[in-house]
Amino acid sequence: MSAATAHSEVPEHLREPPLIEGPQSDRTLTDSILHPVWRDPGRGWWMALAVTSSFLGILTLCIAYLLLTGVGVWGNNSPVYWAFDIINFVWWVGIGHAGTLISAILLLFQQGWRTSINRFAEAMTLFAVICAAIFPGLHTGRPWFAAYWLVPIPNTMQMWPNFKSPLVWDVFAIGTYFTVSLLFWYVGLIPDLATLRDASVSRTRRFVYGVFALGWRGSARHWNNWKWAYMLLAGISTPLVLSVHTIVSFDFATSILPGWHTTIFPPYFVAGAVFSGFAMVLSLLIPARQFMGLKHVVTMRHIENMCKVILATGWMVTFGYACEMFADWYSGSVFEIGQLLTRFLGPYRYFFWMLLFCNCVVPQIFWFRSMRRNLAVVWIVAALVNVGMWLERFVIVVISLHQDFIPASWGMYYPTMIDIGMLLGTMGLFGTAFLLFLKFVPAVALAEVKELRYETELHEQQHAHEAVTGAH
Amino acid sequence: MPQIDPTKPRFWRSVEDFTSGADRPKAAHGYPELVGREFPVGATEIDGATRRDFLKLVGLTAAGTMAAGCMRNPPERVLPYVRQPADIRPGIPLHYATSMSLGGYGIGLLVTSREGRPIKIEGNPDHPASFGASGTFEQALAYGVYDPQRGKSVKRKGEQSGWKSFVSDVQTRIAAAKADNGKKVVFLDGPTASPFDGWLRKQVGKTLPEATFVTYTGVDRDAVFDGTELAFGQRLETRFDFDKARVVVALDDDFLESGPDRLVNARDFARHRVPEPEGAEGAASLGGHDVGGKREPAGEWMNRLYVAECGYSVTGGQADHRLRVRGSEIVCLAAALYARIVPEGAADVAALGAPFKDSKWVAAVAKDLASRGPTAVVTVGTRQPAEVHALAAAINATLKSEVVEYGLPLLLDTKSGSSTLKDIVAAANAGQIDTLVITAWNPVYAAPADIPFADALKKIPNVVYYGQFEDETSVHAHWYIPAAHELESWGDSTSMDGTVAIQQPLIAPLFDGVQRGELFGAFAGLPDRTAHELLREAHAQNSADITANGGFDSWWERVLQKGVLSPTPPDTIHPTLQAGKIGERLRPFKFERIEGIEVNYVVDNKVHDGRYADNAWLQELPEPLTKVVWGNVAMISPAMAEKNNLAAEEIVKITVDGRAMEVPLFVLPGHADDAISIAIGYGRAGGEAIARGVGSNVNTLRTTAALWFGARATLAKTGKSDRLGITQEHWAMEGRPIALTAELADIKRKHLPMIEEQNGPQPSMMDEWPNTTPEGYRWAMAIDMAKCTGCNACILACESENNILIVGKDQVRRGREMHWLRVDRYFEEVDGSLADAKVVLQPMACVQCEKAPCEYVCPVNATVHSDEGLNDMVYNRCVGTRYCANNCPYKVRRFNYLNWHNNLQGTYEMKMNPDVTVRARGVIEKCTYCVQRIEQARIATRIENHGVGRVIRDGEIVTACQQSCASGAITFGSLHDPKSAVSKLHADERAYAVLWELNTRPRTRHLAKVRNPNPELA
Repeated sequence: MSAATAHSEVPEHLREPPLIEGPQSDRTLTDSILHPVWRDPGRGWWMALAVTSSFLGILTLCIAYLLLTGVGVWGNNSPVYWAFDIINFVWWVGIGHAGTLISAILLLFQQGWRTSINRFAEAMTLFAVICAAIFPGLHTGRPWFAAYWLVPIPNTMQMWPNFKSPLVWDVFAIGTYFTVSLLFWYVGLIPDLATLRDASVSRTRRFVYGVFALGWRGSARHWNNWKWAYMLLAGISTPLVLSVHTIVSFDFATSILPGWHTTIFPPYFVAGAVFSGFAMVLSLLIPARQFMGLKHVVTMRHIENMCKVILATGWMVTFGYACEMFADWYSGSVFEIGQLLTRFLGPYRYFFWMLLFCNCVVPQIFWFRSMRRNLAVVWIVAALVNVGMWLERFVIVVISLHQDFIPASWGMYYPTMIDIGMLLGTMGLFGTAFLLFLKFVPAVALAEVKELRYETELHEQQHAHEAVTGAH
Repeated sequence: MPQIDPTKPRFWRSVEDFTSGADRPKAAHGYPELVGREFPVGATEIDGATRRDFLKLVGLTAAGTMAAGCMRNPPERVLPYVRQPADIRPGIPLHYATSMSLGGYGIGLLVTSREGRPIKIEGNPDHPASFGASGTFEQALAYGVYDPQRGKSVKRKGEQSGWKSFVSDVQTRIAAAKADNGKKVVFLDGPTASPFDGWLRKQVGKTLPEATFVTYTGVDRDAVFDGTELAFGQRLETRFDFDKARVVVALDDDFLESGPDRLVNARDFARHRVPEPEGAEGAASLGGHDVGGKREPAGEWMNRLYVAECGYSVTGGQADHRLRVRGSEIVCLAAALYARIVPEGAADVAALGAPFKDSKWVAAVAKDLASRGPTAVVTVGTRQPAEVHALAAAINATLKSEVVEYGLPLLLDTKSGSSTLKDIVAAANAGQIDTLVITAWNPVYAAPADIPFADALKKIPNVVYYGQFEDETSVHAHWYIPAAHELESWGDSTSMDGTVAIQQPLIAPLFDGVQRGELFGAFAGLPDRTAHELLREAHAQNSADITANGGFDSWWERVLQKGVLSPTPPDTIHPTLQAGKIGERLRPFKFERIEGIEVNYVVDNKVHDGRYADNAWLQELPEPLTKVVWGNVAMISPAMAEKNNLAAEEIVKITVDGRAMEVPLFVLPGHADDAISIAIGYGRAGGEAIARGVGSNVNTLRTTAALWFGARATLAKTGKSDRLGITQEHWAMEGRPIALTAELADIKRKHLPMIEEQNGPQPSMMDEWPNTTPEGYRWAMAIDMAKCTGCNACILACESENNILIVGKDQVRRGREMHWLRVDRYFEEVDGSLADAKVVLQPMACVQCEKAPCEYVCPVNATVHSDEGLNDMVYNRCVGTRYCANNCPYKVRRFNYLNWHNNLQGTYEMKMNPDVTVRARGVIEKCTYCVQRIEQARIATRIENHGVGRVIRDGEIVTACQQSCASGAITFGSLHDPKSAVSKLHADERAYAVLWELNTRPRTRHLAKVRNPNPELA
């Protein structure tokens, strides 16, 4: 049975809505997608930028204070040697995941619906990884040494990093991930930059966009090379979706700490990363499509699909929690069981309960189609999932550390204003970068959307033709 | 962190800084008197100052030594080592024997000096009171000497003056006082047993024959002497030989932690805290220990301790049976024991009017005491009144206890309690005092609330206060004389067993302090004599010994080297119990039952009576039971907290007879109900920046009638709270096999399943760590929890040896204390309740895992394994990811969250041990097994053997913690030698690896605590 007949036989309300709404031509698509770049950004944009850049300023001040004074400006202590620094790091890295997943894996699986949101998601990845990368460097006691001692640079002392340490793996994982994400995003952007160059009215813009367009002329050969490069990068990115968060999870899983020492961590971290990444895409996309007039390319179908991904990954994460708890109990170890109990009943129990609520209970609302199509609900759920995923890392990092093996060394952790300032500050950095992205490059992959339109139209024409000829 | 020193560090002042003016006093040596300077010019005075003659002696000759300890050059001409003194080699530590006094009794010390700076205190192995061990107060001297808050100049009515001016003033006054033989001159001294002090008093007596010397201290032993007077009709020194004890009943007596003989007590008591004798002594005594003329069967080696007390003391933590009794009711317990043991006891104690607390407990204890006879003893704390001491003395005499010994008093004055102050107040009010010279520590602060001592001082025309700090008393004095520190002075001391030790200075007075000898010398008309000269003169009379040693100078040199004079056998006397008279003598005592809440005051483990309050090392030590740092708390029992709806850290208002104070609460398991315990010595308001404002001053509540307990208090909520600095927040072991205990009976029948579970082969997929050194050392440690009392000496020794920095209360609250060694204290519930909770103590430092979880996670190889099994920490490679600390299951790694150096002001930098890196901000640090000492020993063997090196012998390396530990709980050595002490202890049936199941293979093994309960009380 072909898709066409299925299409005709499926009742109207179950039929998949189109990926591009309304009659569109290349012209209308170019105009509408490039419109945000050309137009005066407007008061809303400026106000948003004012807010985010203020937080970016706070981040800068916090970092300056941190570097001048020491890690002691945070609330970290003994036994909670890692806290907001690593929570934020893992959280931001996780958020970055959706971008790679959408760009690479969905591309390889030829999921047409990705084209409208991949640029957006990739940019998000890039900025999230930048936010994440702030922490591992700055969280060290002596970042001026950490900056290069963790990298295998040949030196006269013949001192190499300790390749047994997951933190060294992190350096490679994050470094690779950032590089590939940047390349992938940039390569995908080249045809659109050329479009921008060609459509530019001022010389400066034409020059700047021209430089970044790398001399794109749109020849068939260009397109051919570009397609190959893009596919190759997608291929390279694909394992990264799995590897990055797997390696981040090794920071915990390879240790011997109850609550960290768990084999379930790699898959459940990846699932959690996709979970939070999609939630973040939704949190940003819903307002962005509204204010930037992109409803016709980022349609309800996209949003529904992402809700379904959240629902699915939410269950994966829930399964991970269940496995972890089972393993704790089944181990029979007083330390593991103690850790399980302190999560449920210890001083930070509300955080754990909140985590279960946000990550396991709340996404279940997406079983209902009406809820998936209710933007307010979707946005709130996405926001709660992001909170839940942040809490998950809090549970893993702080709760596991604050009560480990020897009760005499147990202690509490309380964040300082600098901790909170840096969390909000990275959000400011992320927001600022995102707003600039929305202003200066097309938020939707124009070339790919056009391609999608052609393909869809071609498909529809074929379908119409088949219907007429009765060929089956 | 409270600011340690708000003033800028200033080592040297220029000549221009000297006070100019016509009346600038001239010093004896012709230099202008350096008023207000912080650092002695003596460092650069190669010749000249006679007062600093000792420089020649100890080799502190030239600027080079001092210049090594400071950054800036002095303005005076400095001479380099043209000819290096024979006994100073840069980089080689020197050790000098000296002594200090605690409560008037001497404790021998051995001070390590580096390039002229004393940096580490140990006990003098040749001194019987310290036998190489040391306590917290001893260790803390090395920090106190560098305290820049100490008094820096002689002051007259608060204005800067000079020593010379003071001396001339004294001379005028002596001349005037001679008219009435100095009848109106009173010296108020602290308790002392020093022969030098006795000699000085005689010299003063020559000029002022009728001048009086009285003694005062906030922590007096009057009750001990009064007690023997009641029992024997004689004031006697009471000593204990716990080596002979098998049953000890301590009535409110913290004999392991307080008192001048605490180190000896801890050692002797700990020897018998284990099931069997150990090591060489074990071989000698196995099969029988000769006590009291009868051979002890080997199984009876271990002692049994009963403690009755109000708060939880260090000694209480060691008890096999502990009874919670309010301070005022101890007498009832003593009476009950007395009635059961002493033949005519029942009749005698009827006179006391105290209700017997006869109970199953008392019956069992009395039976145990009686059955052990000469090896049993009852001890009583100095807080208790003389009557209780008398009862105990009578019980001991009836038991014919050989544990207790009596001797003639060693103190120059056996009355040093608050009655002295009362007498002075009366005399001052009557105008009978013209000059009061206070050398006792801070009586204005220490005086109970009902003695208006400060007011009385206003009626005395000339008050001279001699103290290390400008404190509460100095503001009331006409003259303030800055006292030289113990490590800056010449003197001597007598320990409790009669051993005389010399106190020799390690450094020129840093802040121009005046030595005791010089002060008394001024009053004796000998102002031009140095303390050194006076001391030599005082000892020139030891004629027999001197002639035997070829003249005074050679004898003196030998004494200085050894630190102690040839020991004279203690004058033990055997007093007779005046059995018939005790009942009569007890009659005046009136027992009054306190209805409601009784408030108890205890001597603090850290600041003592407040005199050490400016010592940040001591302030940051965790109190042994509460683990509270930087301040005192009101301790109450869990039941009382529940009854009154009170919670820990809540600030309460305690009112006694209308006088009130506010203090935060601490709920202490095992505390007596309806009672509060508070440590004295806090809430200081003197000029000491560190001490000021830390904790609350309870002296405002105390009266002479209820000096330690006996006052009814009311407790009111204030609605405020204070987040305490506590180094251990969680009290329970949560059923985990961490700090194990075993009962003696189970050890005997080899039934130790808990310990066996934490032992056994540990298969590993990884290769065993190859030991590539030729000698094959495998460094290891054994910590015997049966011996550990939790006295904290090891923590401070470690801090001193390894340049561990203090962080202050706020950072401790944040959980960032830096102590490498901690003593974990767990309360064990008894019958599901914390009311009578037992205590287990577990010293915990880096256990040097063979398979260390910290090592593989470090991204930069900053923590790596040495061939000899040390888990080395490479500070300058560390970038501070703290991953190692997270992965350390023992949580013994410490992180420099901030630059703690910023707290270090000026002179404190001189304290640093040059053998140990001072860690920067952002770096992890932890116990190294004192790797610098291992290397020193290795170097020494190579030098000894002409570069080849021989195997380091067992016992040649002593870690700092091990060295200080009086009870010998810590043993260090190499496992490659199966005969080494540590190998034997690792093979002990009580030994186990903490967190064995993690397969970390710790090189430090713990030995389970042993309890020896009385089956009748089970």
